[in-house]
Amino acid sequence: MAAVPGDRTPSRRTAPPPSKRARGVGSGAPPWPLIALFLLPAFLLYTVFMIWPLFQSLYFSFFEFKGLARGDFVGLRNFQELLTRYPVNEQLPRAFLHNVYFFVGTMAIQNTMGLLFARLLHGSRRGKRFFQTVYILPYLISALVVGYLWSLMLNPLFGPVNQVLKAIGLEELALPWLGDPRTALPAIILVNAWQWMGFPMLLFSAGLANITDDLREAAQIDGATHWKLFRHIELPLLLPVIGIVTVLTFIGNFNAFGIVWAMGGVNGEPAGATDVLGLVFYRTAFRGGIDAFGLASALAVLMFVFIFGVSMFMLGRFRRWEENLT
Amino acid sequence: MTRPSPSGPGRVGLTSVAVYGLLCGYALVVLGPLLLVVSNALRPTREIFKNPVGLPTSPSLDSFVKAWQEASFNVYFFNSLMITVASVFLATAVASLAGYMLGRYRFPGSHLLSAYFLAGLMLPFRLAIVPLFLLLNDMGLIDNRMGLILVYAATGIPFSIFILSTFFRQLPRELSEAARIDGAGELTIFARVMLPLVRPALATVVVFQFVPLWNDFFFPLVLLRSTGKWTLPVGMTRFFGEFQADWSTLFAGLIITTLPLILLFLLATRQIIAGLTAGINK
Amino acid sequence: MFHTDRRLWIAVALTLLLAVAVGCAAPAGAPPAPEQEEAPAAAAEEAMPAAEEAEEVTLTVWSWRTEDEDAYNEIFDVYEAANPHVTVEFVAFVATDYNNILATGLTGEGGPDVAQLRAYGGLQPLVEAGQLVPLDGKVQTLDNFTPDILKGAMGVSDGRIYGVPFGIQALGAYYNKGIFDELGLSAPTTWDEFMDVLETLQEAGYIPLAVPAKDTWMLPIVHDAVGAPRYGGPEFEQKVLAGETDFTDPDYVASIQLIQELQPYMPENVVGVSYQDARTLFLTERAAIFIGGSFEVGFWRNEGPELELDAFQVPPPPNSVIDHSLTPGWMDGSYGVNANSDAIEEAIKLVEWMGTPEFGQLFTEKIKQMSAVPGTEPTDPLLAKFAQFYAETPTPYLLLVDFRYGDPSGTTLLGNGIQKMLLGEMTPAEVAASLQEGISQWFKPGGQ
Repeated sequence: MAAVPGDRTPSRRTAPPPSKRARGVGSGAPPWPLIALFLLPAFLLYTVFMIWPLFQSLYFSFFEFKGLARGDFVGLRNFQELLTRYPVNEQLPRAFLHNVYFFVGTMAIQNTMGLLFARLLHGSRRGKRFFQTVYILPYLISALVVGYLWSLMLNPLFGPVNQVLKAIGLEELALPWLGDPRTALPAIILVNAWQWMGFPMLLFSAGLANITDDLREAAQIDGATHWKLFRHIELPLLLPVIGIVTVLTFIGNFNAFGIVWAMGGVNGEPAGATDVLGLVFYRTAFRGGIDAFGLASALAVLMFVFIFGVSMFMLGRFRRWEENLT
Repeated sequence: MTRPSPSGPGRVGLTSVAVYGLLCGYALVVLGPLLLVVSNALRPTREIFKNPVGLPTSPSLDSFVKAWQEASFNVYFFNSLMITVASVFLATAVASLAGYMLGRYRFPGSHLLSAYFLAGLMLPFRLAIVPLFLLLNDMGLIDNRMGLILVYAATGIPFSIFILSTFFRQLPRELSEAARIDGAGELTIFARVMLPLVRPALATVVVFQFVPLWNDFFFPLVLLRSTGKWTLPVGMTRFFGEFQADWSTLFAGLIITTLPLILLFLLATRQIIAGLTAGINK
Repeated sequence: MFHTDRRLWIAVALTLLLAVAVGCAAPAGAPPAPEQEEAPAAAAEEAMPAAEEAEEVTLTVWSWRTEDEDAYNEIFDVYEAANPHVTVEFVAFVATDYNNILATGLTGEGGPDVAQLRAYGGLQPLVEAGQLVPLDGKVQTLDNFTPDILKGAMGVSDGRIYGVPFGIQALGAYYNKGIFDELGLSAPTTWDEFMDVLETLQEAGYIPLAVPAKDTWMLPIVHDAVGAPRYGGPEFEQKVLAGETDFTDPDYVASIQLIQELQPYMPENVVGVSYQDARTLFLTERAAIFIGGSFEVGFWRNEGPELELDAFQVPPPPNSVIDHSLTPGWMDGSYGVNANSDAIEEAIKLVEWMGTPEFGQLFTEKIKQMSAVPGTEPTDPLLAKFAQFYAETPTPYLLLVDFRYGDPSGTTLLGNGIQKMLLGEMTPAEVAASLQEGISQWFKPGGQ
């Protein structure tokens, strides 16, 4: 689009076409003391209580551990051990692949649903808060309980899901969902989406609320249909929020632990079909042997490098798309 | 079959029926399993073990009484409220300042700082429990609610800055420029002009920080020692045995602990809607 | 609200300053420092010196058994009555996070004086980190225990004893006497009888064996309860530890194959059946036999008091190396003393008492598990039966007792392997090979 970066618009009242609105970043940065005043409280709190302990644990990946007692500097031996010790060496690539499925599945199901419901609710006047509240309810409960709840729902022996399927004649769909390696991971992705759908929905709602109605009215006067309005006005303006949701979903899914643990157990049952990196990390750190601490730190370093790299790449992409649109 | 919507012909009415059908349908999918929580909270655990999914034969509130008393909910409730509110408030306050600066301006190192602030989200924070424990131990903050608040607030910062900076970035620039021409300083612009405009995002950030902290039992278990300082979820862990859990009491406790969250959420959605109208009228 | 906020802000600002100051001063990643000088006011009351006998002392005991809290309080009441200057405070934590909580608790302020400790391999990280007081030579009642039992509380690297054992677990088969009587069955004593029993149960519409295969930790339990005579129990243990054989031994492979042969008598889609599901099947009398540990007795008694239950040893399978039934068992855990405790002497006296028959008898009566103290008699008949089996024909639950000292552990490897076998993804020989490959990374025969 032919927008000049930094192009100025006189006033929001006149509702210029979205492609020409100047948003965001200012060029004239305030003086340093002011920058420091805004940034320092968060920086200090975050650095001291989060980054410093985390950094120390990552640093520990280069040491030998006996329980919590730190031994000698061993260079990359923990990393080597992690990548060669059976069966972790076989579990890691498999878990990684499952995380990829988890991310793709969550994007396709949870976040699409979140966007859909946010859009539907944005237009509706009646019942909006009711539906928003209902949809967020599963998020308010801890993953442990959600996992237990859905294990019951999907239970092949007592579960109502299969009873309903049998009652409506879908006998062949009444599977042992969490007990079959083929269906277990998809089932967990769906349950996870059930729990988290409110999150993208709320963010998209906030994003939609940020789009001024003048824009929509202008477009409607031009005779745009609902779909065109969504596709050409709202969706581009939602791009930053889509970016946030994508990156947070990516980070969240690659750190996924609670729900998978609650439904598939610590080994990602059945037969590792639901094993993810978060579980491998947990097993290494808390169910491992005497050298667990060093190995777990090494695994955390690897996960961090990967997640950080991909997230930064994604953020860069989204930033560029956004800039192309403004 | 339905009243035609005032804004359009019959077709619109039909779509809005479909829309409401979809919304209600999904609401059932959400509420169905949650009813199981309520139903099981009204049944004794023995019955749950024997028939995991079933209606209460003789509904009783015993589990609620037990949860309230045995988990010392009256004590822990205050701790939970104090710790969670203080943590979320602290994190949101410092994160909106930082998010504003990072979202609105580019200065040398701003990208690097944004990445730095996001990095904390990408590591399993449980990994850091030992160094964190030693750090707080050195500072004399073990078994101290303030120590837990500082840790909790720190964990909320990456997420909050990430979301808030994105929303600040999207605000039209002429707003701040108009205010600046009127002679307002940066802090005034931030507090009086910009902050109110990101209210929907603020509400979202508060909700999504609040819930995991409210439900967390791991950090209080490790960082707080006196039972008098424990929080609600720590009280709930008393019902998780080595080989079995007291599900009925757990479910009852869950309902009690979740009610305040629902209240919080109702307040938050009001903010999201209020933010919408503010956007129109400004 | 406003006042709270302002106070909070001031406190936060001060703490941040403090944080920066202390954070910079502290050495990077310093190992846990044993000395603690700046005790905060909150911990001061617990930090009272306990050197003098008569001085009031509070001993904190940590445990992972939240379900036993009332029972332990009653048990410690007895100790407090005999030692009026001592107050015992029992704190139980959620079992899944206990290791973490304990490891940090032993490091810094406000930790326990006495802690419940995992057995065998699970104990070693704490020993290696020097967080526990060695008790041999200090606790007289340790002499009551057999070396086999004490092995579970021993540090591998120094051979010293770090805890007073509290419990023993044994494996066997529970059966529903009501169902057996109804079908005219009795507890099987030979493998053929066992097969007949399973057939009859199946024909009568019962699930013969309530086996959970979704929770892999139960699978090595089922395997050892069924297969120990087949591979040779204690004889095999000696040989495998000495390096004369390994897990790819045909007898061991055959013992794994037994589980495959029993699969038709397990619930349908057994890999989808969780531990709790299996217990529910047994409780609701849909399944007639539950193969598991003596730690279930309390659960059956609490949740199904009306059930008529009994237990049998699984008879020796055909071609067994040992021609009679075996009951696998292990030491369940111990109570040890925090090296950081301010009241080590009083703590040692408490754990010493936990090795007496008085404690043992209270333990088995109130907690409904077998006590590790010799000479104690379980009062529950079902538990007494397990105790009798274990006393007559004991064998170590091999993979737990000897193969949890490294990562990956033997129980994890075999559990995962058997699960895959039940799904048809692995053969018994492949399961055994995977077990051998996994443990051989840290296990060196002839050592120990």
